Amino acid sequence: MEFIDYYKLLELDKSASQADIKKAYRKLARKYHPDLHPNDKEAQARFQQINEANEVLSDPEKRKKYDEYGKDWKHAEQFEEARKQQSAAGGSGFGGFGGGQGYTYSGNFEDDTFSDFFEQMFGGGARTRGAGRRPQFKGQDFNAELQLNLSDIYTSQKQTLTINGKNIRLTIPAGVENGQTIKIKGHGAPGIQGGPKGDLFLTFNIVNDTKFKREKENLYSTEEIDLYTALLGGEVTVDTFSGKAKLKVKPETQPGTKVKLKGKGFPKYKKEGQYGDLYITYKVKMPTRLSEKEKELFRQLQKLRS
Amino acid sequence: MNLDELIPAEKICTQYQVEHTFIHSLHESGLIEIVTVEETQYVHCDHLRNFEKMMRLHRDLHINIEGLEAVQQLLDQVQQLQQQNQKLRNRLNLYE
Repeated sequence: MEFIDYYKLLELDKSASQADIKKAYRKLARKYHPDLHPNDKEAQARFQQINEANEVLSDPEKRKKYDEYGKDWKHAEQFEEARKQQSAAGGSGFGGFGGGQGYTYSGNFEDDTFSDFFEQMFGGGARTRGAGRRPQFKGQDFNAELQLNLSDIYTSQKQTLTINGKNIRLTIPAGVENGQTIKIKGHGAPGIQGGPKGDLFLTFNIVNDTKFKREKENLYSTEEIDLYTALLGGEVTVDTFSGKAKLKVKPETQPGTKVKLKGKGFPKYKKEGQYGDLYITYKVKMPTRLSEKEKELFRQLQKLRS
Repeated sequence: MNLDELIPAEKICTQYQVEHTFIHSLHESGLIEIVTVEETQYVHCDHLRNFEKMMRLHRDLHINIEGLEAVQQLLDQVQQLQQQNQKLRNRLNLYE
């Protein structure tokens, strides 16, 4: 567990006044508020950090403790004992840690926790944010990411996901896009006081485990053909997503020629039985290690063309 | 419309401790939709997420209704650009 420099987080120096802290906190909160940065985990983490920094620095008791023992937080317990003794002896002492400035933002946290450093130094019940939090009604939305192979989503498939300890069975439609987010209604946290359940937002990360390139429902691949098939025409067997297919190659096919195999592409999202197209680009493979006879024949061909 | 999916505006006011005028202003600005059934105003549960977001921005960052409208418009634009960016990235894979 590492020391957290709360002053640095709020871009302040140690002599900052309460007004400076409030100003710095408000400025950074506006910059990193989670509602202004949807799906940005970095901004959310930063927001939580500045919230925590404000929680400590805006509370004179906590700030004093932090300033004194911050870097040497392991000795905070001794501070506590000394505080208790002082209090018992009738000194001014320090009040509990519940009476902070209370100016904290509710945000929209997925993970409502402060750092281990904070918990260790001030204890789990030290935060004042809870008291100032907004009433909730709708259950919290959950965000999850699911990694699938491209070959997995060629057909619709049933998956069981474990979200916050609960198993959710769902059917993933064939043809989902990389980076696509789907909303699964009512699979978030339960609502409060009769409020509706939150939703689950599932984002797909599709890893291409095939030789095909994909753009929406169309697929693209490259097939090698030999020089003679390209020149004279013939038949080649090519790979499609659903198996092999035989193709007729026209005579005098040029390298880079594209052919379209209608309906041999990827399934269209939520359009059952409809598929995109497969585009095959021919790459002509030149013969190598020519024999003397072959070289002679090519020379003869060259003469014929010139 | 399924009544189970509608939440009385009054209940929202009590639950979130907001004035009815706030909900009304959000509706006037097109930020949420209010449905009236037999003289009772409701908010569809699908709009609750957006309502909560607006409420947090209003309370946390002291943004007024006009500001919320601008924020929502910009957030929509950001979302569109993010989607466009994702599409272009997926397309870029064709050339890599």
